[in-house]
Amino acid sequence: MFGEASTSLSSAGSGGSGALSHVFIKYPPMRCDTPGSKGMFYDDANKLLLSPTADQVLSWKVAPFIPNAMPSSDPIAEGPVLSIRYSLDGKILAVQRSSHEIQFWNKETRETFSQRCRPESESILGFFWTDCLNCDIVYVKTSGLDLFSYDPEIRRLRLVESKRLNVTWYRYTHESRLVLLASGSQCKTFTGFQLSSAGVVRLPKFEMMMAKSEANNKPVLAAEDIHIITVYGRIYCLQVDTVAMLLHSYRFYRDAVVPQGSLPIYSSKIAVSVVDSVLLVHQVDAKVVILYDIFADSRAPISAPLPLLLRDYPRLQNGTLRLAYKDASMEAKEVNIQEPVLYGDAWTFLVPDLICDTVNGLLWKVHLDLEAISASSSEVSSVLEFLQRRKLEAMKAKQLCLAITRTIILEHRPVSIVSKALDVLITSYSRALKNGSYLKGIKSDKASASSDSHNRSSRIPVDESFDAGPRGKSVRTEFYTEVGPAVQSSIYSSSDSEVEELSHVPGSSGAPLDANVPDQEESQISSSAISPDDIYCHVFAPVDDEMAGDHAYLVAILVEFIRSACLERIKVYPNIHVLMVQLLVRSDRYAELGSFVINKIIEPSKEVAYQLLESGRQNSHTRKLGIDMLRQLALHHDYILSLVQDGYYLEALRYARKQKVTGIRPSLFLEAAYSSNEPQYLAAVLRFFSDFTPGFKSTADNATYCHILSDTTTSIAA
Amino acid sequence: MGLSTAVSGGGAGSSEAVRICVFDLRRGQQEGQELDKILYFYPPELAFSYQLSVIGLSEGLITFTRIFSPNAACEVIEAERHSHIFYQAEPDIWMVMVVEKNKELEAIWRIEALRSVLKEAHSLFMMFHGPIRPMLDKEPSGELLRTNLSTFFTDYLSDFSAGKKLQVPSFRDTLQEKGSVQMLTVGREAAIEVQSLVRVLESSAGNAQCHSLVLFHDLLVSTSLSPEDAVNLYTYAVLRMTPRALSSGTSSWSYLRKGSTAVQTTTSVSASEQPYASRDTSQTEDSKYLLPRPLKQSKWSKGKDGFLVTNAAAADVRNSISHPPTVWLQQSEERMYLCAYQHKYLTIIVLIPVASSNSAEQGISMAKQQILENASLKISKVEERLSKGWGGENAYHVTGYRYLLLDGDRSVSRASPPIKVTTLAKESLVAMCKVREEVDLEKSRAKWDDKGHEKDLEVCVRAKNNAWVIARVTRGKELYMVLEKGGETLLYASDAMEKFSNR
Repeated sequence: MFGEASTSLSSAGSGGSGALSHVFIKYPPMRCDTPGSKGMFYDDANKLLLSPTADQVLSWKVAPFIPNAMPSSDPIAEGPVLSIRYSLDGKILAVQRSSHEIQFWNKETRETFSQRCRPESESILGFFWTDCLNCDIVYVKTSGLDLFSYDPEIRRLRLVESKRLNVTWYRYTHESRLVLLASGSQCKTFTGFQLSSAGVVRLPKFEMMMAKSEANNKPVLAAEDIHIITVYGRIYCLQVDTVAMLLHSYRFYRDAVVPQGSLPIYSSKIAVSVVDSVLLVHQVDAKVVILYDIFADSRAPISAPLPLLLRDYPRLQNGTLRLAYKDASMEAKEVNIQEPVLYGDAWTFLVPDLICDTVNGLLWKVHLDLEAISASSSEVSSVLEFLQRRKLEAMKAKQLCLAITRTIILEHRPVSIVSKALDVLITSYSRALKNGSYLKGIKSDKASASSDSHNRSSRIPVDESFDAGPRGKSVRTEFYTEVGPAVQSSIYSSSDSEVEELSHVPGSSGAPLDANVPDQEESQISSSAISPDDIYCHVFAPVDDEMAGDHAYLVAILVEFIRSACLERIKVYPNIHVLMVQLLVRSDRYAELGSFVINKIIEPSKEVAYQLLESGRQNSHTRKLGIDMLRQLALHHDYILSLVQDGYYLEALRYARKQKVTGIRPSLFLEAAYSSNEPQYLAAVLRFFSDFTPGFKSTADNATYCHILSDTTTSIAA
Repeated sequence: MGLSTAVSGGGAGSSEAVRICVFDLRRGQQEGQELDKILYFYPPELAFSYQLSVIGLSEGLITFTRIFSPNAACEVIEAERHSHIFYQAEPDIWMVMVVEKNKELEAIWRIEALRSVLKEAHSLFMMFHGPIRPMLDKEPSGELLRTNLSTFFTDYLSDFSAGKKLQVPSFRDTLQEKGSVQMLTVGREAAIEVQSLVRVLESSAGNAQCHSLVLFHDLLVSTSLSPEDAVNLYTYAVLRMTPRALSSGTSSWSYLRKGSTAVQTTTSVSASEQPYASRDTSQTEDSKYLLPRPLKQSKWSKGKDGFLVTNAAAADVRNSISHPPTVWLQQSEERMYLCAYQHKYLTIIVLIPVASSNSAEQGISMAKQQILENASLKISKVEERLSKGWGGENAYHVTGYRYLLLDGDRSVSRASPPIKVTTLAKESLVAMCKVREEVDLEKSRAKWDDKGHEKDLEVCVRAKNNAWVIARVTRGKELYMVLEKGGETLLYASDAMEKFSNR
């Protein structure tokens, strides 16, 4: 098992396909081109890619991302399509026909109705469905927001509320439930609303930073320059400033918007993706990606800019076409696909991690190459921290973490470094335990595949990134309807549940405005947290086999491990303590072993006690420690047996009487006493049993040994 | 009795009630060469004829008793006015202590306690100079050994001197045990913290297998040494290196010394050390003699960087290179550099193998730097934690009990604080002394009777003053206790002991 892991790690740098990159898209893409398509629309609330044609709309589910998924279709009426979105329950299809009209079609009743606005004074910029309690759909108009609720009885929208303000353009993402409305001559004045099931939160008005190129030339902020991103359940806004060549970041709190520093950019065209809470800044002109992990205060990129990689593309090799998939039905299609142009003009970046090639009708999903990322940094503890924060490919991250830890131990890195690495793993495990995601992970593990817990790794698929199956879906819907954003339990901020409160000083006590992200909940199910048992099975046990000899080093690491576990109050399984005993015994450090046991650094357990007894064959003090441990653990029977084995049968009897241990075999003691050749002892033992064991006098043992006793005493007397 | 008169007659010139001699049975077996046997004699000013008479008597008894018991010759002679305590330190190297049975009642002692003084002296000597026999083999004249022994004992016995006389352990010290380590009891978290520190310390000299000893006040916190070596180094550290030892050294002894040496600085010091110092310089190549007087009072002082330094080396002008002190470990038979660091009440001793580095200077300074760099944070953390849990001098006092708990396997003891023991009546202490004597006897008998099987023993004695004196030996652990305010019945005493044992 170990060999496999290490090879996978070593090949990680090359990403398996020969090119160096940290981010890749995987061939084949999802094909969603249809003849007569009027364009591609992305319904981010339902994770649908919609392609309307003259008489119908085709929709592809993009989560889970299945390359050869077949679209479903619904009929629509003829007419222009400016925007199209399904309602959150999927029953109603809304199509924006013009800047004044949105048409609704009820899937069940097959009825159609339209909702218009006053064409003279305002125009509709767009709309989105919401899971707000009292409204279902929101129109964004030049004059502000209109919140409507859908009444199936009257088959009409009822206006619930209007927010009056001037809007030039807007940005909305469903995962953040946040709509940003731009106004002003430079479009840099923003008003934000979060429309979640907890209610509507109005953010304070704020201005974005804009560098001036020349004195009189005021740049105007475009909608494409603003990106709302959700990482670790927090909502940020990224603003591209092409004049200063900076990407400004802002974090949203309930009562403030706080600038979070700026990232340099190297391209005038910037696209942003978020994969598993890692921010990917695509420098489109330079065709490279820079990765940021906006978790800590540091705004340093995870690694150097590297190109996006296309994986598994069947290139012509030796004149024959190699196909990635053997599926015969796929072959015909695939031959048609030309090698895609990375960062082509037709690429549209969809929230959070999709790329749509609108010309060729292809949809790519962006993946992180965790192996490559972890191989690119030598800072072990920061790599581990990074991996431990990954939720999407939790199992892979876990495997990588274990492999990294194993490697650094095998490489004999200084204990301080290994200790830091173990600290990272333990803290993250303890955090996972506290918020329950670890247990959930285990549960889902068991549901998906039941196997021996010690072999957990062997049954894990190499890549679980597409794992958002029916289980995920059910959790998500449940979240929509019942819990909503009020729960919003993100692991990373403690005050998430205080959504109700409004008066918070930003940053300090903090009421960070958090995304109401069902996806995050869903992905938390599999956690990359590593239990002490896993660490034992996949790190210490194999490492111990590999590096016979340097016991002192391993002991030092085990001590650090136990220290770290102790700090987090995590129980360490006996097997680690047993290993510690073995290591100390192997290096003849009995004195230290004694102090470890006495100070309970090695916690008492039956396993440890038996290991001590076993090791005690060479060292009587160690054996004694084992016996004492049995007594401490109140394992009366084991204790008495060990005492008898060592010849302390009288002590054993005394103990048995005191602790009222029943069911001891008299013959054991009688034999021991007999072999001591001391009739006194034999007599004492006999007396003990005849006094305290009812019915002993009638047993064969009694007769035999009484006979022996009288024989020996007479022979002595003679 | 003939021999007692011989002893008292010869000793007429000295008022000293204690004599100690070290001699080698293999030497001076020819007529006229008897003096060659004597390796050391205390008091040294006694006439050779007297020294020879003591040694001759001892030798005779040893030879005689060996006929009956080749493996365990004479242990003790009780004469009318003296006790002779024998200790075979190394094959045919004997140490004998003769103590006068004074009329005063103070002269009640336990033979084993006296023997443990000899044992301790030998162990400490070995720790600094290595075993005696190889030294004799190496240098048959024995001159060097004699000087070493002489300075060693002078320094060692200075701790026993009360006024002009030597004060040997008496019944008053019966609830103490020489040759054992007193441990600090720490919680699991603190213990782990300490171990984590220990790992850092022991890796401070690269790949070489280092050892360490961590003390808090005068109590041992952790060590990786074998019990024997740990006891020796612990004893030494408590005598000379812990904060208490350092402060007592400067307050009394060295203050006076400073006054006198202020004028003559090195000359007076080196004059007094003349015989040893001159030898040192002639032997500088031989690493064995680099630490001529490890037990000299106030040898150590705390340097600016927190490391303890030996000022003896600095005082010796001819020994311009300050050689780090070394110790010899019994278990690994390896010589180690001794490097000590002190932070508040935490004393840390790191032993670095001499063989590991080519140059002592370099190896040590590297290790020191490593310790400062990697461990200082942990050291202060550990110190803080231990200080927090520190219960003070009387932390291990148990109300109503005066006790001594011995763990023979690990050479660990725990006792009531001395200040509490002094509150006991003399009768109780004397009774305890007698009981211990009995237990010692029983133990040594068991040792010969039944090897590898430890005896269980329980003794409860009602002393003259109605105190209960209790001894209990179970599987290598010994518990002695005195209950002065005990009830009337034996049942009470055994109950009290049960209660105590269960703690």
